[in-house]
Amino acid sequence: MMADWMSLKWLLWISLYLILGVFVPWAASLAWADQHGSSLRPRPKQLFERGELGLISLVLGISVIWDLLQSHYMPQTRALGSVLLALSGTMAAAVWIESYCRNATGMHNSPERAWRDSRNLAFLVFSMAVVIEILLDRFAKVAAS
Amino acid sequence: MSAPAPTLAKVPSRTVTVRLADPAFTVACLSLVFAFLLVFFPVSFARIIQDRWLHGNLTVAIMVITLSIDACLYLRIAYRLAAKPTVLAAVCLGSLPVMVGLGLSFCLQGAVAYTLSGDLPNLQGRVGEEILAHTYLGLVSGIFLPFLALRLLQQFKAARSNRETESPLRKTASASSY
Repeated sequence: MMADWMSLKWLLWISLYLILGVFVPWAASLAWADQHGSSLRPRPKQLFERGELGLISLVLGISVIWDLLQSHYMPQTRALGSVLLALSGTMAAAVWIESYCRNATGMHNSPERAWRDSRNLAFLVFSMAVVIEILLDRFAKVAAS
Repeated sequence: MSAPAPTLAKVPSRTVTVRLADPAFTVACLSLVFAFLLVFFPVSFARIIQDRWLHGNLTVAIMVITLSIDACLYLRIAYRLAAKPTVLAAVCLGSLPVMVGLGLSFCLQGAVAYTLSGDLPNLQGRVGEEILAHTYLGLVSGIFLPFLALRLLQQFKAARSNRETESPLRKTASASSY
C-alpha cells in the first residue's frame, strides 16, 4: 500500500469544517462590523472565548463517528473509536456549557481558561478525526483489494 | 504576649487540579505524529506494529508508553501549579492505563478472531489494519481516559465538600430563623 495524494482528501474534508466553522464566522463578524461602521475587529480568540470551538468539534466528531459506523471494521473497533470520539467531543462541548452556566449564575468565569480548554480539546478532536479518516481510507483500500 | 510569627503558621498545600486541556494537547500532538507516520511510512510503520503484535509485546509497549506519558504530564501540571500530587491521582494514573491496555488487548483478540472467522477477502491485510487501529485507539484511551476519570473524581469530591461546608451553614441559618 503506497501513500498517494488522493489519500489526502481527508485533509480537504476536515479543512471544510475549519473554514465553515471558524473562518466564516470570524469573517462574518468583520463584515458585520464593516457594514455597521463599527470599529470592532474581533480576533478568533475573542469570538470563541466562551468555548464555542467545542461545539464545532462535536459536530466534526459526530460526522467522523458516522463514517466509522459505515466502515467495514469489526464491531469492537467501530464501538471503541466511536466512544472515544464521542467522549472527546462531549468534553469539548462541556467547556461551552460550563462557561455558559458560570456566566448565567454570576460565578467567576475566566474567558482565557475557556478559550484554552476549548482550543486544546478541539485540537484533539480534529487530530483524532484526521487519524481515523486516514485509517478508514487505508481499510477501504485493503477491503477493496 | 507577642503575636504569632506568620512564618511559623502552617501554609495549606494546594493539590493538583487537572484540566482536560493538558492531556488533550498531548494526545493531539501524538495523533498528528501517528498521522504523519501513517502517511509518509505507510508500509514500514504498519509492519513494525504488526510485528510487535505477533511477538506479543504490543500491549506491554502501549502500557509503558501511556504510563510514562501520563506520569510526565501529571508531574508537569504539578510543577506548573506548584501543587502537591495526591494519592487519588497516583492510583488513577497508575492503574487505569494498565486496565485500558489489558481491555484493549482482549478487544483486539476478539476483533482478530472475528475477522479470521469470516469469509472475507484479504484477511491478512484486514487483520493488519485492525491491529493498527487498535494501537492508535489504545494510545489515545490510555492517556485520555485516566485524566478524564481523575477530572470527574475531582469534580465529584469538590461538589461533596461544597455540600458539606454548606450544610452546617444552612442548619445554623434555619436554627436562627426559629
